[in-house]
Amino acid sequence: MHILLAEDDKNITLILQLVLEKLGKHQVTLAENGQVALEKALNNSYDLILLDGMMPKMTGLEVLRTISKELPQRPPVIYLSAKTDQKDLDEIKTLGAGHIQKPFDPEKINQKIADFMEGESKQAS
Amino acid sequence: MRTLRSRFNILFILVIGSGVIFSLAAVDSYDRISEAQDSMDSSFQLRNLVGQLPRYQFDKDYFEKLKTLRNQLKDENRRQLLTHVIAAYGSRNPQLLSRRAEQYESFEQKQYKIIKETISAEKQILYRNGTLAFALPLFFILLLIGYLKMGLFNPLKRLSDRMLDFLGDKYSFKFMIPEDNEIGDLQRTFNSLAQRVLNNMDELKDLDRAKSEFLSIASHELRTPMTSIKGSLSLLKSGVLGQLDKSSLRLIRIAESESDRLIRLINDLLDLAKIESRSLALKKDWVPLDSLLEKSLEGLLGLAETAEVRLKLQTFKKSIEIKVDADRFQQIITNLVSNAIKFSPQGSEVLVHVHLNQKGDLAIDVKDQGPGIAIEDQELIFEKFRQTNGTQESQLVKGTGLGLAIAKALIFEHGGMIGVQSAPGQGSTFYIVLKEWRKAPVEPIVFTNKSETVNETTKTTPRAAA
Repeated sequence: MHILLAEDDKNITLILQLVLEKLGKHQVTLAENGQVALEKALNNSYDLILLDGMMPKMTGLEVLRTISKELPQRPPVIYLSAKTDQKDLDEIKTLGAGHIQKPFDPEKINQKIADFMEGESKQAS
Repeated sequence: MRTLRSRFNILFILVIGSGVIFSLAAVDSYDRISEAQDSMDSSFQLRNLVGQLPRYQFDKDYFEKLKTLRNQLKDENRRQLLTHVIAAYGSRNPQLLSRRAEQYESFEQKQYKIIKETISAEKQILYRNGTLAFALPLFFILLLIGYLKMGLFNPLKRLSDRMLDFLGDKYSFKFMIPEDNEIGDLQRTFNSLAQRVLNNMDELKDLDRAKSEFLSIASHELRTPMTSIKGSLSLLKSGVLGQLDKSSLRLIRIAESESDRLIRLINDLLDLAKIESRSLALKKDWVPLDSLLEKSLEGLLGLAETAEVRLKLQTFKKSIEIKVDADRFQQIITNLVSNAIKFSPQGSEVLVHVHLNQKGDLAIDVKDQGPGIAIEDQELIFEKFRQTNGTQESQLVKGTGLGLAIAKALIFEHGGMIGVQSAPGQGSTFYIVLKEWRKAPVEPIVFTNKSETVNETTKTTPRAAA
């Protein structure tokens, strides 16, 4: 899959990129903040978007809202939430995005993504 | 400040004083009456004497007697008149004597009337003073009692009632307006105390909230770095970034297992802190016991296989439900059973046995054939970070030393009990006791006497169920 990864923490970015590319055999495009993520999402097509909750310029939630509004056929989105984002989770669910809570186990992330994508395709059909 | 004490002193002085004053007055009147009475008696005597004077005879004894009595007189008038009588008697003049005797007699008659009136008047005064000597103190005592009641006992009772109110429900407590005396001092002091208690309570609440917030932040902050650490290690280990030599791989494995241990330790520590500070919210519900036990045991099958230990579950024929927080209960069971597995020798069996104890409470025993625990250690192991001799634990997964402490705290929150029966060389039986259990409302259709084998787990249902 072609995955857009929006994450500002350099360490997590590297690890996730390696896990997704080397272990998951996906193609990964990086976005280092919310604004860049939004730009890329609106101008390119991806199979999956991974959004970190806390990002400079624009938060993951704001990006999700905007994408959902602008792209009626938006790709599946997984939101990486921190413990403090509890209140946003309802909105995230309403907007149809999945979520993975941080801190997450990098080894299991490919599996979680696979499960989520399976769920999404079942819904779509 | 007009104190209770000064008022009390005044009243007290009035009681005593009025009693004393009017008693003295009464005694004084009494003395006067006595005196008058004496005077009356002596006049009477003299009157008789003078009246019976022989007019025409001279009696020397009589004469001397008159003189003696006259010398004893204090009253000047009487003395003078008697002197006239004596002179007349001595002059042997019967007419003079008669005249003097008559003068004396009429004088005495007048005196008698006067004294009688005096006595009568004094008696009135005596009665009055005597009554007052009794009634006034009584009156002041009544005043004193009234004052004590109003000024002391009633305020004390009000104060005591307020104190009880405060003990019962601090928040509806109303402060009293202090009076202007010793009771007021007491009220003021109590008001200050009450205020301090309320402030302390607020402070404690703030502290508790701060602690909960801290726990929440700490748990997040401590776990976050582990993501990067675990991620990096697992990527290295997987070889996708290039093959590593044996030593490098070993080093990575060490780092990984220690990181996992760190994560477990962090989780346990934060768990325990949450449980102990009572910021843990247990979601208690009626859950079927069997499904909880099976889930826990299934999760440990891997561990049991590696340790070559058999897991056996012995439970009731009829379905039982318990009122617990399902996740937390599973945590307890997993804890106990994984300990049992870790301490069991290869090829032995770990038995989970559900039964009722003598009091009718539900008991779950976890029995192992391990080395056993010495009596002096049996209480210690439930404390934080205590483990029995580490060399006896199989090196599968090193414990955090907190498992039993957490299990104990959780069981207590459920209102149950936890303990161990063991002796060195005789294995150990860890047991938990729950009071809130019931027979499941609906019996499951399929629940037979067959023994089912799940991998290496044997589940038997004894026919003679308790």
